[in-house]
Amino acid sequence: MTWQRETFKKIKQIPREEHVLPGTALCAGCGGLEALRLAAKVLGDDVIYVNAAGCFTMLAAYPFTPFKGSWLYTTMGSAPAGAQGVRDALDVLIAKGRLPERENLKVVVLGGDGSTYDMALSSTSGAITRNLDFYYFCYDNEAYGNTGAQLSSATPYGARTTTSPCSLQHPSGTMQEKKDIFEIWRAHKPPYIATVAPRYPLDLEEKFSRAAQFTGPKLFLALAACPTGWLYDPGETPEVAKLAVETGLWPLKEAVNGAVTHTYIPRRRPVEEYLKLQGRFRHLFEPTRQDEVIRHIQARVDSYWQGIS
Amino acid sequence: MIAIRFHGRGGQGAKTASRILGTAAFLEGFVAQDSPIYGAERRGAPVAAFTRIDKKPIRERGLVARPHLVMIGDASLVQDPAARVLDGIDERTVVFVNSPLTAEQFQAQTSLPGRVTTLDLTETALQQFGKRSAISALLGAVAGRLVGLQEESIREAIARELADLGLAVSAIARNQAVGVACYAAVPMVSVTAGPPQPFPPAALQVPTYESPTRGTARISAAGNSMLRETGGWRTFRPVLVPDKCNGCWLCFAYCPDGVISMTKEDRPVIDYAHCKGCQICVHECPTEALVAEREKEGGVAWKAK
Amino acid sequence: MEGEMMTGNLAAAWGARLAGAEYIPAFPITPQTEIVEALAKWCESGAMPARFVTLDSEHSMMTAAGAAAATGVRVFTATSSQGLLYAFEVLYSVSGWRAPLVLVNVSRALAAPITLESDHNDVLAARDCGFLQIHAETCQEVLDSILIAYRIAEDERVMLPVIVNLDGFYLSFTREPVALPDPELVAKFLPPFHPAHLGFKASEPHALGVAVLGGTPYSYFRHQMHLAALNALVVHQEAAAEFERLFGRRYDLVEGYRLDDAEDVLVMTNAFASKGKAAVDAARAEGRRVGLVRLRMIRPWPAEAIRHVLRGRRAVAVLDQNLSPGQGGILFQELAACLYHETLRPLALCSFIGGLGGKNLSEGEFRTIFEQTAEAGVQGKGIGPVLLYTEADHREMVQLQGIAGKVGTS
Repeated sequence: MTWQRETFKKIKQIPREEHVLPGTALCAGCGGLEALRLAAKVLGDDVIYVNAAGCFTMLAAYPFTPFKGSWLYTTMGSAPAGAQGVRDALDVLIAKGRLPERENLKVVVLGGDGSTYDMALSSTSGAITRNLDFYYFCYDNEAYGNTGAQLSSATPYGARTTTSPCSLQHPSGTMQEKKDIFEIWRAHKPPYIATVAPRYPLDLEEKFSRAAQFTGPKLFLALAACPTGWLYDPGETPEVAKLAVETGLWPLKEAVNGAVTHTYIPRRRPVEEYLKLQGRFRHLFEPTRQDEVIRHIQARVDSYWQGIS
Repeated sequence: MIAIRFHGRGGQGAKTASRILGTAAFLEGFVAQDSPIYGAERRGAPVAAFTRIDKKPIRERGLVARPHLVMIGDASLVQDPAARVLDGIDERTVVFVNSPLTAEQFQAQTSLPGRVTTLDLTETALQQFGKRSAISALLGAVAGRLVGLQEESIREAIARELADLGLAVSAIARNQAVGVACYAAVPMVSVTAGPPQPFPPAALQVPTYESPTRGTARISAAGNSMLRETGGWRTFRPVLVPDKCNGCWLCFAYCPDGVISMTKEDRPVIDYAHCKGCQICVHECPTEALVAEREKEGGVAWKAK
Repeated sequence: MEGEMMTGNLAAAWGARLAGAEYIPAFPITPQTEIVEALAKWCESGAMPARFVTLDSEHSMMTAAGAAAATGVRVFTATSSQGLLYAFEVLYSVSGWRAPLVLVNVSRALAAPITLESDHNDVLAARDCGFLQIHAETCQEVLDSILIAYRIAEDERVMLPVIVNLDGFYLSFTREPVALPDPELVAKFLPPFHPAHLGFKASEPHALGVAVLGGTPYSYFRHQMHLAALNALVVHQEAAAEFERLFGRRYDLVEGYRLDDAEDVLVMTNAFASKGKAAVDAARAEGRRVGLVRLRMIRPWPAEAIRHVLRGRRAVAVLDQNLSPGQGGILFQELAACLYHETLRPLALCSFIGGLGGKNLSEGEFRTIFEQTAEAGVQGKGIGPVLLYTEADHREMVQLQGIAGKVGTS
């Protein structure tokens, strides 16, 4: 089945208006910010972002905020519960006539992978189970980025982080496989889940636009290519994101009421092209090439895509 | 005691420079202390680090309020009030600026107080390392020269600190060589400690209660991040070559910070006050209509509000 | 006797209902569960027009509670012990947002070893988080304190959340007569909730709980919370006066019992203060000039009110139902600090630790307290911390250890 974009067919349909304004303290070339900026173009300003501790905490730092909408900083482990409180309170106020419907807000959780895959997993699971009407935006840079790139459950096999260094005993660096949060979410049967990547803006905009029709949890997993943690030049963020998708490592897909559709079928370039760009995988190529590790990563991707077209 | 304050931008190596200086002083038998100040720094955001050198135990901690030497790794910081580069500087303070301008030119442009000396470390790094990267070894070496440490201890300190960061042996050797070259090249202005100045007692003004509208960590001025300019983060600026632009919008679509807007004629307009210089637009432009130009002088390429 | 027989837990639920709480995020934990069960039933039946949601943990529950209050609704929630500690970091967030809600804590000792019974190490662990604290002696006081707590919390001069504490088992599951205040009078006592600095809506976006970089703004905001908490001393007195006018019951920051000519004074909190009062009566009957002070408001710390009732006494005993390992009784430390500059400070301050993990305080133990305190007063030198642990307790413990130990070893 070929996935068709219905709303966003041309790049010039990307709304001109900015909703996350410049002047933030985030790193130059931040892939997560790029994805958020594009998402906000569909979400608009009638939004409250409920933030978990992570890189995005620095978006709103006293006395500055880049948002034309609202913001509530919660904790690393409970942003979805914060969304629950805000959503419920808005519903109560609207039901009682104390808040006009036009004042209503979309509730959007912002969490990094450390929060999403690890600490806030219970809170997220609860919110989905309660069928909370909210958006979840995970900026996944595959490590605890705000503290300088330590191992998280989202760190892929073979990547080096400051707490999963490569050594004689562990030449691949990270030993674990990346946790499949998409499938964990999907097991909860929310109405809408999607993965997105900043280099594919129309795919991203279309998915946010499609999600709007669903009441309930709408979860987004955004590839947050990270020059600081992944060790590449900031200008290469789109290239890195593109190779993540084109190698098949980062599948672009959605699940509508549990039914998965891949929204883009890559020709699947060798994973090596993606790995080579980033310092966090340099130990796979220097000083000696670790063919076994690279083959393992390739095999995992190949097995994922078996039967998908 | 000699107190040195390093100013740089996240990722530039100010912290490592302060450690190179601290280690070099330690190797020469001095009592040394070095420390960074951590906010939640991002690549490009202003950062500071401190080194103190003495012959007797140092009874000081943290921020250097009255530096004898200020090392400015990025000239644009001089006019960034958030960086607080000028704090505690008087006419005796030695101020080093990483700049292609001479000390006289720089002082004329910025009316910087203190005894200024300059060297273009960024250009050196670009030439020697092929791309803009951390200038910690260069900055540390220059500081070592200005406070009168030996070349050999600087060389050793660079090796120790960069090895600690996990740099390859070849990269360390290159940094040592370039660092020592900067050590020799910096126009000398010697740092002297002078007698310590007494501090007046702090005049306290204890806050009274204010309504929670003001008294809570809360921002009602939505979207006011525009007031904070991040243009000074750049080493390179993207510049449009109008004839080559095909109006494809990709630069607008990919810019993480949203600093590119499109005119009615589909031409990009770059907000240089906020562009952080990530070069994504330059990389992604299919017609090479955006080119990277080295900022001539970060400090005058834009103005703080 | 007017009113109805009800447990402390049910009285707490009635407090929330009468206060017009609009949102109740909940999570069960013994001995608090009865509160949220009652509220769930009322919300379901329509008796209480509030939204009830069961969260996935106390951490989530407290976050949802604070976020809802920050959005502009009146929020009630309840927990106990491990639950309070599981929510601990969120307490600091909610107070930092200056989100005024009421949290009932049903005191229970902390693991390990795990137990279900009462002491105050849980609630006193939260004394620095920016929540105000009111500790109740009776089921009636639980209900009344919740109403007073909302009035204080939502005052523009305060805008801080409040914990109302009651003892597990000794109040939570104990029934006694409780008068239910007239809902119309409660509506007069508690004006509608309209905080100026809170409430997310499309036309007035704002960012709350934002990061601050640097110590200056952090110091300022933290100090504002301190000033707000101190304001609660005045606001409490205003609220208490109005409460007395409307409902005929009087509550003060500290409660004095038979203090008039008391030489020696016992200081306590919570439900066991009832036993302390009986012990005072018994000692008085034997000719001892003793009295009791019950600390009701723990945060803000009512230093001046405490000095007022304790200045000029011969000896003061503090009975802490908590233990800070390596330090002693928590309230003893705070009390000693606030008496230090008092010219007529007591000659002896005595520290007793009792009632840990729900352990009973016997009449004999109170007698021992009064005797040792009187002696300390005569000597002019304080004692303690003294653990109230009797010979019978010792025999029981040795027996248990004998069973727990490996057979054949001693």
